[in-house]
Amino acid sequence: MNETKLLTEHYSKPEFRTLKGYQADGGYEVLKKAFGMQPQQIIDEVKTSGLRGRGGAGFPTGMKWGFLPKNGEPRYLLCNGDEGEPGTCKDRIIFDQAPHQLIEGMIISAYAIGSHKGYIYIRGEYKKPAANMEAALREAYQAGLLGKNILGSGFDFDLDVYWGAGAYICGEETGMISSLEGDKGQPKLKPPFPAVQGYLKKPTIVNNVETLAAVVPIIRDGAAGYRKFGTEKSPGTKLFSLSGNIVKPGNYEVPLGLPLKDLIYGFGGGFKPGRKLKAVIPGGSSAPVLTADEVEKANLDYESLAGLGSMLGSGAVIVIDDSHCMVDLLGVLTHFYAHESCGQCTPCREGTGWLNKIVHSILEGRGRLQDIELLEKVANQMKGKTICALSDAAALPVLSFVTKFRDEFEYYVREGHSKVKGTAYAKMHH
Amino acid sequence: MFQLSEEGLKKIQIELNRYESRQSAIIPALFIAQSENGGFVTDEMIDYLSKVMELPVSRINEVFKFYTMFNQKPVGKYHVQICNNISCVLNGSRELTDHVLNALGCKMNDISLDGKYCVSSVECLGACAMAPMMQVNEDYYENLTPTTAVEILKGLK
Amino acid sequence: MPKCTINGKEVEVKEGTSIIQAMADNGQKIAHYCWHPGLSVAGVCRLCMVEVEGNPRLQIACNTAVSEGMKINNTSDKVKEAVKWGLDFHLINHPLDCPVCDQAGECGLQDQYMEYGSYDSQMAESKVKKHKVVDLGEKVVLDSERCILCSRCVRFTDEVTGTKELAIFNRGDHSEIGTFENRPLNNKYSVNTVDICPVGALTSKDFRFKQRVWYLKDGETICTGCSTGCNVKAYFNNEGFFRIKPRYNPQVNGYWMCDEGREIYKFINKEYRQLKAQKKTAKGWQEMTAGAAAKDAAKALEGHLKNASLLITGQASMEEVDSLVSTFTTQFSSKKIYHWKNNEAQWGQFDGLLIRGDKNPNTKGVQSIFAKHQIDTIIETLEAEVKAGLVATLIVALPESQSVYPDLMDKLKAFGKVINLIILTAGKVQLQDLTAVNCWVIPTKTFVERSGSYMNHNGLVQKVNKITNIVSEALTLDQAVALLSGGEVTVDSVYGIETVKPLADLNQRPDQVVADSRKKNEFLFKRGTV
Repeated sequence: MNETKLLTEHYSKPEFRTLKGYQADGGYEVLKKAFGMQPQQIIDEVKTSGLRGRGGAGFPTGMKWGFLPKNGEPRYLLCNGDEGEPGTCKDRIIFDQAPHQLIEGMIISAYAIGSHKGYIYIRGEYKKPAANMEAALREAYQAGLLGKNILGSGFDFDLDVYWGAGAYICGEETGMISSLEGDKGQPKLKPPFPAVQGYLKKPTIVNNVETLAAVVPIIRDGAAGYRKFGTEKSPGTKLFSLSGNIVKPGNYEVPLGLPLKDLIYGFGGGFKPGRKLKAVIPGGSSAPVLTADEVEKANLDYESLAGLGSMLGSGAVIVIDDSHCMVDLLGVLTHFYAHESCGQCTPCREGTGWLNKIVHSILEGRGRLQDIELLEKVANQMKGKTICALSDAAALPVLSFVTKFRDEFEYYVREGHSKVKGTAYAKMHH
Repeated sequence: MFQLSEEGLKKIQIELNRYESRQSAIIPALFIAQSENGGFVTDEMIDYLSKVMELPVSRINEVFKFYTMFNQKPVGKYHVQICNNISCVLNGSRELTDHVLNALGCKMNDISLDGKYCVSSVECLGACAMAPMMQVNEDYYENLTPTTAVEILKGLK
Repeated sequence: MPKCTINGKEVEVKEGTSIIQAMADNGQKIAHYCWHPGLSVAGVCRLCMVEVEGNPRLQIACNTAVSEGMKINNTSDKVKEAVKWGLDFHLINHPLDCPVCDQAGECGLQDQYMEYGSYDSQMAESKVKKHKVVDLGEKVVLDSERCILCSRCVRFTDEVTGTKELAIFNRGDHSEIGTFENRPLNNKYSVNTVDICPVGALTSKDFRFKQRVWYLKDGETICTGCSTGCNVKAYFNNEGFFRIKPRYNPQVNGYWMCDEGREIYKFINKEYRQLKAQKKTAKGWQEMTAGAAAKDAAKALEGHLKNASLLITGQASMEEVDSLVSTFTTQFSSKKIYHWKNNEAQWGQFDGLLIRGDKNPNTKGVQSIFAKHQIDTIIETLEAEVKAGLVATLIVALPESQSVYPDLMDKLKAFGKVINLIILTAGKVQLQDLTAVNCWVIPTKTFVERSGSYMNHNGLVQKVNKITNIVSEALTLDQAVALLSGGEVTVDSVYGIETVKPLADLNQRPDQVVADSRKKNEFLFKRGTV
């Protein structure tokens, strides 16, 4: 099986990360084309292309841009490279292998929305990718691709990098804005939405790394060219991070709508001998888990996964084979969300901790049967009650794990140890 | 008394003017201070930064305590952070963590007796397709096995 | 002006009003912890959930503006369920220590719990441990486990005082309010954080453990601590006054008051007061009731009062000053009335928020009444005359709050030069300092014991009503001067005149008792490290 490489065509070439190498493969030609277009034309093209946010929420990018006030007010374009959703490692390869592609995508987007200042927010742990990005920015400034009057177009755009310092919540766009403002990365109340009042209370657009990079092939090939790939409602290609119990994990660029099975068995090479599929988390740890049966029916697009009660999210496909205990894995996830809740909204602050404690009580053999129901009740009450979606993100795995693998939970509570892994195991890890 | 080097102070001045608001320099400044202090930040340093940067001390402290990359206590010469989130756990990161702790003879989050290592278990570091992985100071080591992880760590001078 | 329907009731609100404000203005109940009308919207307690018709998701009332035709309710089962769980999330890590918590009785959590009915918590896990008895500053103690992280106090120090001492450290359910080491919460408004704390996390060192709030009554008055005239509530019972809290008045103080103003209850309690009248006789001091002493002085000085001088301060009410000045100008035909000003040089000081340098509530009032009666004396004239032995009779109405008059003792000593000295005082005076030949000390009432008006720095006249009696037989200044001028006062307004005592007794509420419980609390502070 072959990938469909709209973005990643040249990623295997080490020199592609340099300005020279990037330009050798047609880099910054699309920018020239874009400067020949009216900003509104670019916005329309992106709207028509059907590009949706690749960070996780899947919000239509062109529509988001359309929320900006139609006046000359200064505005910011922020690139969200906090990539923290467990299972996701796709933006990193763009920083690593194609920094200029991101810069080009950002200049085009900035030109379209009329922004003259942008930041790329990179998670602090990505030291090397960030350094790579900074080096590319220096090259771009030297070549007159950033700064004043880019390529003689009369358009000015300044771009800089900002490093995060370790907080999952900074992947939430307003959390990221808070962090960029030098604050704790706590999400801001909406309304006002960032497009109206974002970074430093100015209109702001926050887009994911992959989203902004995808603007380049969209303007290059036109919306129609982009729409040749993917489905009617989920056009184009997307980077999928395939991880977990799989023979060939990695990042794969495939058209949206690809059957999930094809990614797992075709690209991922299936399972180790003797192992078989148990479950898949299709869109990063926050996406509800799919059972093996559901995987059969699932396609990698927004609609198909939504139809199965899950989501495409960030495109992080986490594959779980039959050697793993779902109670145990839920413990890993609840611990994560309890650790990452920013602590602002009460239902999330208290709820994530509570869920984690209940799951760990079960894992320690102290579970009560009513705890399973309690997990559901607490998770349900955490949904849709908070400023940002972290609370929901913590609740959804709990609800899907508990409903779809209820037998494992009941067994654990009854017997005091894992149905899959036995007694010794529980003692070892909890 | 903690004091930044000339160079460190210069860097902080650059950061203060680099972003649209001075406060944005808090995170970079904490990184600069932490690196000059051998990997962790003390109350005294927060106080010092507040004076140097002319920003409220509680604001800096708040930021310091929010982000996991700022250490509140020493982390040895090599801070070994092993990811134990889902993709890594599925690939045996917990067994790897146990193995590393045994081989280095240290307890979780404590510095080994020779002051060289401090092992902690952390959340997703974004190397899920290369699981299991660890971060030693700033460097990522991916596609590990218990044996290779220990080899890498013991090979650090 | 959008119209909306809240719980079936149609209301019209100002453009941009939030739902919660609209509900508060229209007397509708809505649960909330983080919202405070004097602070920015945080939207974090997630308790003020409302259902807006047409929106499947519940909205928080504090961050949703009312729009035309909006149909809002917070009484549906959906909302009730959400609020009950919202409360539960607040309670799972909250200690069950109401019996020893100072907030009990005025606690947001208790109120909501009662509202949503008794039920057993489903929380079976161990609670998060946090710091207890953290000494935040000179006046405030923190119990982190009780804190529900509503962030009101943090927003207060950020937005109102701008001092930014408080912050929330760490994240998730380990988040804690705190100050930075050695940077305590010591701003001049710090106790407001205690007022706005919806739970027992922040408590006032001054009030802590003194009284259960359900044993306290409150009365509305104004702060007499400076010329701003903040509107306050004073809390008391028959053991005394225990605390002062601000009362909302957008014209004067908004929602706040300063820490210094909260001390004004201290000098009105019985142990600091002049309880009985004293008359100097050949055999020493003779104790009398207030009314009797005034009548005695009136009789003894008959004829001498014509040349009497009067010294008053900006701590008396408008009515009292007016009555004194009128009596002096009409009955005694004396214009020798003097305004005693303390620290006049600092009167212009203002901290930008509420605190003013003039530590009298009614300086403007005194000045306006003096102007009305065309009195333009200066106190230096009186002092010179006293020194020269030219003043035979002097009536001094001492300030209620003696501590803001640093030269009080010196002045009292200097007045030893006059022959007849009448001291009208609420606070205790040292009798040995009074060396005048004839001397009467007559106890007077304080601002909570009489109705009266005060004109603040801005010329705003605020009338307050009497709250209670502390020293029942004390006289107001106008009663005292009425008796001094040979008049009578009506029975129901004064107590302590021997002739009418039996009758008065029947109507009189019992005097304040001096209880041990009001003595200073001794407890150890251990500063937790956050």
